[in-house]
Amino acid sequence: MDLSYTAEEEQFRTELRTWLAENIPAEWTVPGFWESLDPDESFRLRREWEARKTAAGFSGIQWPTEYGGRGGTPGMKAIYDEETVRARAPQTVNVLGLTFLAPTIMAIGTPEQKAEIIGPMLRNEVIWCQGFSEPGAGSDLAAVSTRGVRDGDEFVVNGQKIWTTNAMHGDKIFTIVRTEPGSERHKGLSMLLIDMDQPGVEARPLKQMSGASEFGEVFFTDARVEASDCLGEIGEGWRTAMLLLSFERGASGVGQYTEFRRQYDEIVSHARRFGRSDDPVARQKLAHCLVELECLRYHAMHILTQVEQGRDLGAESSMTKLQWSETFQDLWEAFDDVLGPESSLAAPRPDVDLAPFQHQAMWSRSVTIWGGSSQVQRNIVAERVLGLPR
Amino acid sequence: MFFALTDDQQAFATTVREFLADRFDLDAVRGVVEDPDGDGHPLTLWKGLAEQGALAVLVPEEHDGLGLGLLDAQVVARELGAGVAPGPWTATVLAAEAVRLAGSDEQQARRLPALAAGETVGTVALRGEAGSWDGRGITVDAAGASDAVRLSGTASPVDYANVAGLMVVAATDPSGAPGLYLVEAGAQGLAVRDQRTYDGTARVAAVELTDTPAEALAGGGLAGADAVSAVLARGAVLTAADLVGLAREALTRTVDYDRDRKQFGVPVGSFQAIKHTMADLHVGVTMAEHAVLFAAHAVDSADAGDPATDIAVSVAKAKAADAAWAATGAMIQFFGGIGFTWEHEAHFFYKRARRRAPLFGTADEHRERLAALTIE
Repeated sequence: MDLSYTAEEEQFRTELRTWLAENIPAEWTVPGFWESLDPDESFRLRREWEARKTAAGFSGIQWPTEYGGRGGTPGMKAIYDEETVRARAPQTVNVLGLTFLAPTIMAIGTPEQKAEIIGPMLRNEVIWCQGFSEPGAGSDLAAVSTRGVRDGDEFVVNGQKIWTTNAMHGDKIFTIVRTEPGSERHKGLSMLLIDMDQPGVEARPLKQMSGASEFGEVFFTDARVEASDCLGEIGEGWRTAMLLLSFERGASGVGQYTEFRRQYDEIVSHARRFGRSDDPVARQKLAHCLVELECLRYHAMHILTQVEQGRDLGAESSMTKLQWSETFQDLWEAFDDVLGPESSLAAPRPDVDLAPFQHQAMWSRSVTIWGGSSQVQRNIVAERVLGLPR
Repeated sequence: MFFALTDDQQAFATTVREFLADRFDLDAVRGVVEDPDGDGHPLTLWKGLAEQGALAVLVPEEHDGLGLGLLDAQVVARELGAGVAPGPWTATVLAAEAVRLAGSDEQQARRLPALAAGETVGTVALRGEAGSWDGRGITVDAAGASDAVRLSGTASPVDYANVAGLMVVAATDPSGAPGLYLVEAGAQGLAVRDQRTYDGTARVAAVELTDTPAEALAGGGLAGADAVSAVLARGAVLTAADLVGLAREALTRTVDYDRDRKQFGVPVGSFQAIKHTMADLHVGVTMAEHAVLFAAHAVDSADAGDPATDIAVSVAKAKAADAAWAATGAMIQFFGGIGFTWEHEAHFFYKRARRRAPLFGTADEHRERLAALTIE
């Protein structure tokens, strides 16, 4: 066992920590700050800040330098995740592009796609959305019905996507479209890269149970896209999609642990404030959350080790998802359990604002749905890890 | 970052696993389970473990040991748990740890070689009936001058006191200070009363002491409450490792069975009601495996009394206890009626998990300790 990072990685930590300390205004780190802003203003601030971060060399940590990345190690990426959470840095506005689209383009994109897409994405000049889910195709992604009909050098696209992160701020959308008429399931699909700034594309916000609108709907009505703006081969969209989703693997639990552990400490401080920290049942519930959080941290170290050893993580990412999402949800259920009647009040005392906590508590209901629901993840673990029959 | 076992550690695990498969399989375990009047200490198993160095792992090289760490020892504990192997391995290793941590150079030289070689069986008696496992549950009193200590009281439950040649007993002196003392088998005023556990892979007794001569463990690196805590921490980690090993084996056996067992014309393992439970168990057992590795490493590398180490130990013990109870309960459920029979091996796993999980602190006690460490 050796749980340390290399000297080079620790040097990176120092540089990043210094930059973050100098570039995050104090008011940004107050809980509830981002929720208090108008969504467009919040997005604009974060977009600009992230572009500055890229210019300073703190984006694309593990990307090759030829794509504008830092060429760093998996350990540096884990440190990046930890330090940005610790500094309460804004979350990326280009998460789908950076996490999924960019590595897919590096793997199978054309030279033109590599040259034209990755740089502007990294500099936040182009914000990317993901167009996968549809009203009739959620967990069952192969049921997509958005269709693209060939018209000369273009496809004409009609249909609807839903649960689209950043739909209201997106510039382009990588979209699974049925491009072979009459095809079914995994066949006849293509991954089209569609410009959202055109008359045939309309985005509408979806208001969530928390009141926020992080997702939206995207409607395609005779939207047009060049046939050459296809990632992977035309008709091989399912294969492209599976490759793309595989880049979620190795997603670092280090940042999540750092964030959730701070939330645990904040919940504990509220429990103390409201005189609930001596209650033996409340203490059991909180400690149960701590056990699961610590396990998430150990699991992140395990995953990082596997990545550094060059091992294929396979379906292990489903275990990571289950552990972090279920733990996060448990933590916010514990918030309600522990605070009791006060938990639902935004201002239980003049000097106490619980609204940001309630926002997290509501948000926690979504994490076991998006990115593969817990039920889908359990199927994957049972079938691909344990080998139980389909 | 290297959060994993080394090749050497994995090879050590394989050696112990293959030894158990060859020389002490479930039929042999059954022989011990079905002989409750026997001493539960099969010598073929004991000698084999000693030959592999399994008893010498933590003993320093100058006392004929291997001088390795708790991370290496937990490798053995996991395999013994997976094999539901009977015998006083954990008890003997913990007794040797007490001598190593709290004993003088002379005491270590006199006691450790025989423990490392398996010539002497050891055990630890660290609490009494209804007592907590944090040093406050001690129910034995020490009296007399340091060179003529006498112990009185009852420690319980004590693993393998029936065959132990050397017992490490926690006792409080007249000032109320806890400490560790050695009592030899056959000492005056020592009575060992069999407590008849349903876990047939162990033998458990109450150790009754009446003005019994004892030797204080003193002059080593740790003393008093620190020494007691250090042994309890190692007991918690090794017990957690045993529980994790048996939880993994119980789950693996259940999955294998439900892949083949057909009802309604299909394997029952194809039903999501079963799949999802198995998936959750797999995640839980995997997390417990991580937690045991981390805790063992933390104990090996941290200074005594580091709260981060206490957190790691309690996380591992709480998680492993819960995982073992869940996996062995599921083993009976998902084998169906056959899993409830005496002829089936599920009850070996279930009963061992039920008995061992509370040792060195129940899951609830460890969660309360975590609360104390993070809430106050």
